[in-house]
Amino acid sequence: MDPLALVVIESTLKVGLVLGVIMTVVAYMEWVERRVSAWIQDRRGPNRVGPFGLLQPLADGIKFLFKEDILPPHVHRALYLLAPGIIFTTSLVTFSVIPFGPPIEIFGRQVRLQVADVDSGILIILAISSLGVYGIALAGWSSNNKYSLLGGLRSSAQLISYELAMGFSVVGVLMSAGSLRLSEIVDFQVRHGWNLLWQLPGFIVFMTAAFAETNRLPFDLPEAETELVAGYHTEYSGFRFLLFLMAEYANMITASGLAVTLFLGGYHVPGLHLLGLPPLASALVQVGAFCLKVAFILFVYVWVRWTLPRFRYDQLMNLGWKVLLPIALANILWVAFFVLRGWA
Amino acid sequence: MRLLTGLVLVVMAAAALRGLLPRRPGLTVLAAGIAALVLLGFYPQDLATSEFWAGAVGFVSILSALLIVMHPNPMVSVLFLILNLFCTALFFLMLQAQTLAVLQVIVYAGAIMVLFVFVIMLLNLRAEEGLRMSMGPQRWGAIGFGAAFAGLMFWALRHRHGAAYVEPKPFVEGFGTARDLGTLLFSDYVFATEAASVLLIAAMVGAVLLAKRRLE
Repeated sequence: MDPLALVVIESTLKVGLVLGVIMTVVAYMEWVERRVSAWIQDRRGPNRVGPFGLLQPLADGIKFLFKEDILPPHVHRALYLLAPGIIFTTSLVTFSVIPFGPPIEIFGRQVRLQVADVDSGILIILAISSLGVYGIALAGWSSNNKYSLLGGLRSSAQLISYELAMGFSVVGVLMSAGSLRLSEIVDFQVRHGWNLLWQLPGFIVFMTAAFAETNRLPFDLPEAETELVAGYHTEYSGFRFLLFLMAEYANMITASGLAVTLFLGGYHVPGLHLLGLPPLASALVQVGAFCLKVAFILFVYVWVRWTLPRFRYDQLMNLGWKVLLPIALANILWVAFFVLRGWA
Repeated sequence: MRLLTGLVLVVMAAAALRGLLPRRPGLTVLAAGIAALVLLGFYPQDLATSEFWAGAVGFVSILSALLIVMHPNPMVSVLFLILNLFCTALFFLMLQAQTLAVLQVIVYAGAIMVLFVFVIMLLNLRAEEGLRMSMGPQRWGAIGFGAAFAGLMFWALRHRHGAAYVEPKPFVEGFGTARDLGTLLFSDYVFATEAASVLLIAAMVGAVLLAKRRLE
């Protein structure tokens, strides 16, 4: 067969697989969030639709689809319609450079379990996620509503501030691995142990910034319901509102996947090679390990939501600029010392 | 090349039709879409040439550049500026400078333009209805220089030497990855890099100082 056609088929299959899995996880994250919240608050949570309430996401999706799509008369029409599209697209694209398993051989062909293994992988994630800000800012501005506008303003200031801390926390990982390529970062951790073990400050800064970048509690000021009704998506209803919701969960999945790849060894399972499994079985175990790690971080997201109260706006800025940024810089110096001595 | 010319003509015809039938935007989009699909059916092989993509991205970037200036709403202008910067990133990508392309998106489209959006939202700028330029010397000058520039472009295109189109290739073989860019920045161009960083720090300290003075 034509090699170009093979590449096209392989890429299409991988894109379809990743997209399908992410959309399913997004739907079930809604169920997990409500069940775990209920568990933490000693309630029962949704348990009526199907066994354990497992069909709840389906029912909710149908409800959103059949709701009236309201287009308020005072909005900027084109931008109001464009904003959910921008935020949803950018949230789905970013996962494409994250490796979720080791390279495997199918029909004598080396296949990477990663949609695109590009040279500047981590930069692409930062670039596309920084474009996601426009979705929120435009949704807030085009709604022509003061609550929405305040939500949009807060989010653009918040995302810019925490993007810096996030970028600096990643620099340590890049310096030790000597590459921007996410697959090489995982390879480095397979050889030298997980980055978490010696870059704990970097990991903590990264996770804090990731919470802020995904607008989750305790950083959900752009949609703080006690102050801003619903922030930037106050005017949205029906399926457009669902797009915002799905984008938030998709962003959480990508952020968790990135945290696992950068600090928790990606798909690496310590001591797996001692078992002597056949290559395909060992690859499957590693994909499973990646999913488990991501699931754990997603659980932490919900856990933190019911543990920490929301920050005040000045506290948010203080934390970002005066605490996280210096810690991240110190982490860079610490890693640089190791790299200079040739210990890493 | 015929596909590109056809698509450009379709877009221009659609714009004219939109002006003639302002009440029927759906009809214009439908007609333009059908025309574009017919063109694609006739010349599908053009899609595989880099000449087509360079031309298409160039057309979008010129169109967005015009709309930045011509659109009355500042927020929409900023969005077209972002689209324009994105086209520049695509040009870098076509020249196989992938790291530069990503950096272009991060720095310009992702960071600097967010500040533009932030300022427009903060000042709550609205569409400028009354601001129309009068027929002063500025306008006549613009028309005169524009015509002269168009004539110059036409003359240059008529009297070009050699091939009409050069296949894009990297400036130095193997250039484009982050490693090559870094090596170049910290070896051949180390003085320029360091000078730029000192300049940036000086500007930053100055900005903080100015902002601080106003508070007290």
